[in-house]
Parts: sequence; C-alpha cells; structure tokens
Amino acid sequence: MIEEKIVKSIKLVKKGDQSAFEEIVEHFQGKVFAICFRMVGNKHEAEDIAQEAFIRAYINIQSYDENRKFATWLYRIATNLAIDRMRKKKPDYYLDAEIQGGEGLTLYSQIPDDNRLPEDEVESLETQSYIQKEIMALPAKYRSIIALRFIDELSLKEISEILEIPVGTVKTRIHRGREALRKKLRNV
Amino acid sequence: MNCNEEVVELMHQYLDGDLASNDEEKLRSHLNSCEDCQQHFRELKQTVALVTANIDLQPSQDFTMKVMNGLPKETKRTTVKR
Repeated sequence: MIEEKIVKSIKLVKKGDQSAFEEIVEHFQGKVFAICFRMVGNKHEAEDIAQEAFIRAYINIQSYDENRKFATWLYRIATNLAIDRMRKKKPDYYLDAEIQGGEGLTLYSQIPDDNRLPEDEVESLETQSYIQKEIMALPAKYRSIIALRFIDELSLKEISEILEIPVGTVKTRIHRGREALRKKLRNV
Repeated sequence: MNCNEEVVELMHQYLDGDLASNDEEKLRSHLNSCEDCQQHFRELKQTVALVTANIDLQPSQDFTMKVMNGLPKETKRTTVKR
C-alpha cells in the first residue's frame, strides 16, 4: 500500500533521514502544485509556492501529529503560503500572465507555435485555461476552497480544518463559488 | 417549493454529499416535474465535472530535485567538528 509507504517515510524523516523525504515529495507534488495553481493562476508562482511548502513541511516535520492526515497538514502549509502570496501580489509579468486589454490573449499565443498539437488537445488546453481564468475571477477566499474541494475532493470538515474557518462558512463559499462558475461554464 | 432558493440549496447539499434522504426524495420529485431546475442541476454537475477533471497540470520534471536541494543540510550527521 502506497499510504503505508508514506507513513513509513514520514517516520524516517522525523528520525532524521532526509532522503526519505523524496518519496513524500514525489507522492504529493501533483496535488500540492495543482492546489497552488488553482489559487494563484500562474504556473511559475504555483511551483515556487509548492516547493516552499515542501521545504517548510520538512523543517517543521516534528510538529506534524501522526494521528492526523498528512495531506491536510501539508495542504495547510501550502494554502497559507498561497494566501500570503495573493495578499502581497503586485502585478507580475510572466509569460502566461494576461496582457491588459488582450481579451484573454497571453504572451504564449503571440509566440509562433511550430510543433502543432492535435486538435482535441488544443481544445482541452483552451478549455482548461478558460476554466482557470473564470476561477481567477472569483474572490481569493473562494479560490482556496474550490482548489481544495475539487482537486483532492476533501470533505467540508477537512477544508474547514485546513483553512481554519467554520464548516458553515466552507459550505456557503462552495455553494456560491459553484453557482458563480456555473454561470460562466455552462456553455463550455 | 420555491425553485429559486430552496431547491438550489438542496442541489448543493446533494453535490456535497450532505443531503438527508427525505430531502433527496423531495429534490428528485421536484426535478422530475421542473425543467428549469433540471437544467440548473445539469449545469451544476457539469461545472463540478469541469473543475474536478484531472487537470493536465504537472510541476516541472525537476521539481523533486529542486525541493531536495533546497532542504537544510542534515544537522546531526554532517556537522564537522573542528
């Protein structure tokens, strides 16, 4: 079982075996990265935050209580970092940042594309970037909840623990976020 | 039932796996008779599917390596005594 392996790795890391942390990073990087991406909407930044989250998790591993789910502990570190980043956010000019007044154009689309993708792949990439754009249009407090709920399908209670807000608030924000997205995504 | 609020609330509870069974019956029978709500419900389910769909998003290949290189050096074992 992969979960048992992870539990074992965590124990080893706690005992000071740094190399055992590699397995943990391998196992959780996709989810942590995706959650950060949903929150900040930018791959470079999401990767930066996700890396920082793992490093902080390593440094603070002694404070992780093994009776609780490791994923929620890790996601809490990651979402806190992402929330901090969103607060401090100044305009950034990354390749996939939107150009003002460009109607959804990104710098990527201005770079000539020599290796063409199959049509369905283009479509799904476009759909994905449209979905992300609509998520980014939501207030930040909704984005973290949408990220946690729809990337790792966490329970309302787990989300409430990660974000330290009451379950009732989580519910309301999921409902409102889902309604807002429904109006935007119904024609996809 | 008031389509605009009560039913929509039930739909969300359903999607959260949070709906009591008698309410589920209430929602089901309402959906059977109301096309607008059926449509609303379909759209919500589609939204969930779109947002949940395993996004083809992976961090870069060297992600793990970068994290491992960014960790503080192991304290006990690598301390050099002078």
